[in-house]
Amino acid sequence: MKGAADAAPTRLGRGLMLIAAAFMVVNVAALTLARGETRLSDWGIVGVWIGSALVGSAILERALPHRDPLLFPLALFMSGWGLIAIARLAPVFADRQAIWLIVSTAALIIVAVIPNVLRLVRAFRYTLLVVGLALLIGTILLGTNPSGQVGAPELWLGFGTVFFQPSEPLKIILVAFLASYLAEQYPALRAEGIDAGKRRAWSLSPRIAGPILLMWGISIVVLVWQRDLGTAILFFLVFLTLLYVASGYTPLLIGGAGLVATAGIVAYQLFAVVRLRVDIWLNPWLEAEGRAYQIVQSLMAFSAGGVFGQGVNQGAPGYVPVVHSDFIFAAIAEEWGFLGVIVVIAGFAVMITRGLHIAVAQDGRPFQTLLAVGLTAVLGVQTLMIMGGVLKLVPLTGVTLPFFSYGGSSLLISYVLIGLLLRLSAEGADA
Amino acid sequence: MRFGREIDRLLFGLLLAFVFVGAAAAYWAISGADTILERADNPRRVETENAIRRGAIYAEGGIALAESVVNPDESVTRRYLYPVLSSALGYASLRYGVGGVEALHDNDLSGRTRAAARDLGETVIDGLLHRPQVGADVQLTLDLGVQTALATALHGQTGAAVVLGVPTSSLMAMVSLPTFDPNTLDADWDALSIDPGRPFFNRALQARYQPGATTETLLMAGALLTNEPLDTPIADASSPISLDDLTLTCAVPPPETRLTLRDAYAFGCPAPFADLARRLDVGRVQGIFDTFRLADAATLPGFDALTLPTVLGIDPFAAATPEAQPNSDGAITADNLLNAALGQGERTVTPLEMALIAAGIVNDGNAPQPYLLSGVRYPTELEWSAAALINPTIPIATAGTARGIQDLMRGAVAYGAASSAARPDLDIGGHVGLAYTGDSTLAWFVGFVTIDTERAAVVAVVLENSGDLGLAADIGGTALEAAWRALQS
Repeated sequence: MKGAADAAPTRLGRGLMLIAAAFMVVNVAALTLARGETRLSDWGIVGVWIGSALVGSAILERALPHRDPLLFPLALFMSGWGLIAIARLAPVFADRQAIWLIVSTAALIIVAVIPNVLRLVRAFRYTLLVVGLALLIGTILLGTNPSGQVGAPELWLGFGTVFFQPSEPLKIILVAFLASYLAEQYPALRAEGIDAGKRRAWSLSPRIAGPILLMWGISIVVLVWQRDLGTAILFFLVFLTLLYVASGYTPLLIGGAGLVATAGIVAYQLFAVVRLRVDIWLNPWLEAEGRAYQIVQSLMAFSAGGVFGQGVNQGAPGYVPVVHSDFIFAAIAEEWGFLGVIVVIAGFAVMITRGLHIAVAQDGRPFQTLLAVGLTAVLGVQTLMIMGGVLKLVPLTGVTLPFFSYGGSSLLISYVLIGLLLRLSAEGADA
Repeated sequence: MRFGREIDRLLFGLLLAFVFVGAAAAYWAISGADTILERADNPRRVETENAIRRGAIYAEGGIALAESVVNPDESVTRRYLYPVLSSALGYASLRYGVGGVEALHDNDLSGRTRAAARDLGETVIDGLLHRPQVGADVQLTLDLGVQTALATALHGQTGAAVVLGVPTSSLMAMVSLPTFDPNTLDADWDALSIDPGRPFFNRALQARYQPGATTETLLMAGALLTNEPLDTPIADASSPISLDDLTLTCAVPPPETRLTLRDAYAFGCPAPFADLARRLDVGRVQGIFDTFRLADAATLPGFDALTLPTVLGIDPFAAATPEAQPNSDGAITADNLLNAALGQGERTVTPLEMALIAAGIVNDGNAPQPYLLSGVRYPTELEWSAAALINPTIPIATAGTARGIQDLMRGAVAYGAASSAARPDLDIGGHVGLAYTGDSTLAWFVGFVTIDTERAAVVAVVLENSGDLGLAADIGGTALEAAWRALQS
């Protein structure tokens, strides 16, 4: 009976992959028609995508027959869509992003098929933390910006013409460390009476308060030294989520929200970049052609797209600065319309649901459960932060839209994250 | 299950957040879309406007005057082919909107009229295929030959002139100076906006001038109605008269003989007309002026659109000119009788209105209503759709009175102050008049040329800061000769 039960989602996954392939071909054909010229590079990304899909599916089918059937097709579908959008918005970056897709698929496969990967992660959690903190310090000391723009945030480490954003792997490293730490500590956390509500937040033992302050400190360092508001908030929210799941103590969320708010108020007073983002979030229309130009143009892109969208290459999303990166969601809204937006949201919602389903399936294995929760939370919170920012629901935080946005580090880490979830799903199913 | 409750809550929270994101997207994409898209700072709006294939403007005879050229990048450039038509056609600029005739017929030219009439299916298909909005071509009654002759004759002057065909009152030519080059409007806009000559102001249609001695024509209508003797010598007919601070004299020095009322009209001598106004009295003068609709602001149908805000919300006149002043109701009293009767009162008149009075006179007392649009050709159609002429003629004088005035005007051209308008073998009548406005003077000429028993053309010319009535008459004669040739062919 298990084989029959597995067959349905597998078929669903294959169907989704076929739909994604058709989507790629149709949209690149539309892009070619709209441009009035055939570009080899456009069809090249289709070739890269199909190659990644075939190789990835074949290896995963053999190595992880009981993996989650939807995650890989969904990740490919969304990154393929992102490739088309980048080819349309910033063609010079499309080839590079296609290469990153190959690298990312390879990384996903490696992470997913290494049998001991989860055990290794757990065993070397302190080493990982040290590596993560070293990356953070390295970025503070040696950070650069690929644009070379004076005053731009220096969040990258450069190796020749290749740049890498250390905050990206740091997301996974911190999640892995915290999952490992909390998997060991959670019985004590719950035993302290938090479950029964006997303790109060201010009487938390160092066992709880320690990691809270550590993570809050890392976030503040990221915020203060790197002016990377998005990553700082993401780190802290993901950590708070993990701590909540591990402890089951709801007031932690309220206390954490209070810490975020406090940090936000202080940051508003101290940092111009934070002040700018909050001001233009509250009322962008006052400076629609000035400091709020980006968010106003983003909202105009949504309005211009309407329900059905303008069609690929037929809108004007180029008015949104850096639309191919942080604001790619606005470009999708303008050219694929509200319907496209709903598909993207649904795609992420399904991915999040599958990720938490994988977490639940790890019953009896707290590290694996918390790792799946943390990885899923990274994906969900980051997606919501950028979607909410682009739509003026929350202040802009300057993070990428996973799978869609231009950026090798982001794509690679998103794929590694999916690779880990696939590994977890396979082990959960086998357990 | 361990952590199950917390994971369920987390999932619920994340999915709820995605619902909020979806709702926000729905708001901006659907509910709030119109508000945001209508914003003046929406660059997509400008892009859409730039993609509109604006229809061409043609003159009488199918000569293209303005056309839109599609560039390789699909943007559209508007080209104006004849500089002499600048003041008549106006402009269509992506940055500064539309003005003049371009504004008057903007809905047709930009394709909005047709777009509004399309059914939902066509609209959806056009939207999906991103078909550019294509405007209709419009054909005007303007005659390139007459316009060229008039603009050339007026070159270097400040003022305006209008030529109308009779009996239809089709607008054959219209010049307002100084003007601008619509082909370089974007580059010139800043300088034009502060130009004291107010180049965006269409003087032919909108500027209200003192009529001055041109009111002598109306007073002569009163004389004819009351059977005043036209050919009886009048003592001191050529004497100057004082009016407030002004001293009014004959338009040109008359002969040394005693003048009749007919002679006084021909030479533009004011004294007999001051006496005539007193004899006619307040009531009759008021009645004549009202009958000739001198108090009405006659305009081309729809031309009030010229002063409306343009497509991009910019009023081209706001920075450059004051609003066209509304005419006073000009109630005539015993105190202001002479001022009003001699054209120095509160009543003002546009060149178009003066041309309409001339049209009424040459059309045996029936003033036709003016029009400019003769046809529209929609993008998918080969044939022109004729513009509907809905305005009937308005009686302003009896046929006898009108013919009497025609003769008087012929005399003024034959031997009087308007003789510069005379052209060999043409039946031209006209009248010149000087008007005082502030410290300067205006030189008027109003005249007609007959083509045959039914057709004619009329002209009204006004030169600002000029006392050269001979020049005004000569310009008028040139325009009438050109109109005669145009109507002959």
